[in-house]
Amino acid sequence: MLEFDGLHKSFGDNRVLDGVTFSVTPGSMFGFCGSNGAGKTTSMRIAMGLVRPDAGEVRWRGRPLDQAVRRRIGYMPEERGLYPKMKVGEQVAYFARLHGLGSAAAAKAADEWVERLGLSARRGDAVEKLSLGNQQRVQLAAALVSRPEVLILDEPFSGLDPIGVDSLAEALLGQAREGVPVVFSSHQLDLVERLCDSVGILARGRMVATGTVDELRHRETGRLLRVVVPEAAPRWADGLPGVRVVSERAGDTVLELADDADDQAVLAAALRTGRVSHFGWQQPTLVELFRGAVAAPTAEEVAA
Amino acid sequence: MTEPRSLSSASLVGLVAKREISARIRDKNFIISSVVILLLLLGSLALQVALDSGTEESRIGLVGDVPGLEQALQTQGEALEVDVSVVDLSDEVAATAAIEAEDVDSALVVRDGEYELLVQESASGSLEAIVQGAVTQLSVAEQLAEAGISDLDVPEVPVTALDPDADQDSQRVVAAIIGAGLLYGLLILFGQFIAQGVVEEKSSRVVELLLATMKPWQLLAGKILGLGVLGLAQIVVIAVVGVAGAIAFDVVDIPGDLIGTAVSVVLWFVLAYAFYAAIFAVAASLVSRQEDLGTVLMPTTLVLVAAFVVGIQASANPDGTLARVTSLVPGLSPLVMPVRQAAGEVAAWEVALAVVLMLAAIALIVRLGGRIYAGALLRTGGKLKMREALAAERA
Repeated sequence: MLEFDGLHKSFGDNRVLDGVTFSVTPGSMFGFCGSNGAGKTTSMRIAMGLVRPDAGEVRWRGRPLDQAVRRRIGYMPEERGLYPKMKVGEQVAYFARLHGLGSAAAAKAADEWVERLGLSARRGDAVEKLSLGNQQRVQLAAALVSRPEVLILDEPFSGLDPIGVDSLAEALLGQAREGVPVVFSSHQLDLVERLCDSVGILARGRMVATGTVDELRHRETGRLLRVVVPEAAPRWADGLPGVRVVSERAGDTVLELADDADDQAVLAAALRTGRVSHFGWQQPTLVELFRGAVAAPTAEEVAA
Repeated sequence: MTEPRSLSSASLVGLVAKREISARIRDKNFIISSVVILLLLLGSLALQVALDSGTEESRIGLVGDVPGLEQALQTQGEALEVDVSVVDLSDEVAATAAIEAEDVDSALVVRDGEYELLVQESASGSLEAIVQGAVTQLSVAEQLAEAGISDLDVPEVPVTALDPDADQDSQRVVAAIIGAGLLYGLLILFGQFIAQGVVEEKSSRVVELLLATMKPWQLLAGKILGLGVLGLAQIVVIAVVGVAGAIAFDVVDIPGDLIGTAVSVVLWFVLAYAFYAAIFAVAASLVSRQEDLGTVLMPTTLVLVAAFVVGIQASANPDGTLARVTSLVPGLSPLVMPVRQAAGEVAAWEVALAVVLMLAAIALIVRLGGRIYAGALLRTGGKLKMREALAAERA
């Protein structure tokens, strides 16, 4: 289990992290969402020992991270970083060695990863001569080459074309299947929704929501019902008990039902207006969940 | 595949150092600068040889048998520092052929007491002087003999040197000044290499990835060590080539002293390099772009220039107050002390004190500078103040 436990961090008067807590089980993918400046990068940098937290710690298998444990973590920083004039193969091998592989093993692992990521032809080229997409692949190779026990990736998908996104997603899923916990941050919420077993939404230095996407759907929004009744008169749903009209446009109606409201009564009312072309619970997308979570301070936050 | 193992500080530092070396020896700038330095050195040696062995050579063909002429020519040559060799030729035709074949530079033809000098184009001043002198000497002696005067008593002039060691002293001083110049050049060069390396890591952001696997001091130590090995190798090669060349070409009279000076320059290089490399690295860590490097390196570069100037001054006045004081000041001492040692007498305690002060300064810089470096590495954008970097290190 990879645990982020109660991370606090201020830079001067600027409180960046205010009790960030979440955990990732081995073999699962954790998507880290939040607006710019919410504290995602700072959390990851704390895990990598690049920023010292004011309070809290990050643990792997119950042990606080130290330099030896961090050497077993594959890391991709938000600001990509490679030696521009160093050759691709040598560079990947160098990072393998820094992560503790012997010289022969590092060369072998570097060859393997360079080939796996489709860079064999560019092995002897300086990194600066590669396209941005290929540089990103080298960066990934540098993170994966030492067979890390944990992956922490800051915005790994940014700047990739759709094919690049797919191959990176494939690589990460492969790592997760091998039992590696993967934490990555992203603004591409559809991607997070598709790939991640669990999601954390960070706002103003706090985790405002964590859990599986399904859990979030149930926890974070009320029960939304979408009913499409093309022939209905406007305001057809007004007055139904326990029902609030969220939006209504030409019969396409979104209703929020109180916990005790009866959805079958709503269906009956809809049928009375004529033809019902759609009746179903609205699944909010992660984007909608994200907007809701990030926009409003939670009760906890208000109390604090 | 073997399992990854934990790395000791030493092996991390070693990995960084090895990368620095392999990256640098493939760098064109490094190769070019190394070659240029060696060529300069060999060139100045060759120049020295050319100037030193300044004795001209002249091959004079002689037609006609005049007793004593050959010896007179050689005596005149010695006086004018020209190496004269005389070749006997049978007749004028042979003389002309020999000149055209460049077997001789000129030919002196003696016919019935008449002299004629044959040359290809024109006779150089010294050649004319030699021949004229020899002929004059011969004919004066002849005429004196005819007049019955022989056994002339010519007084000899003895030479007394006031400072017989001056020549050797000046050779040592020249060697020390060349050494100080070399130190200065190499320190600036390797300081630049270090600074560029630090900024490259910062501007390419690779430093974040590096610091996820090692501590800032390990990175700093690896860089300084790696480039230091290269720098040391370079100065040792230069010293060996220089000293060996000087001895082989017979430029110096006292090889022992030259070797001593070279060794002391190399040892001072080690101290000076540790000192300046750390300062350059720390200064460079304050900026994020190569363009900003000039401003932060300027103060240190000026100190180096001042040290070099004082070092040159010390060769003229090795026991002056300025030289005595600056040869103890850390940072200045590596460029002043070897010159003083070569140019005059320096007490052992002075050298020891200078070394101790230098070591203390290095320890201080590595400690304080290491903290600035650690705080500044992850702060990109703009130029950082030292105080901000120190504050960031504690955060």
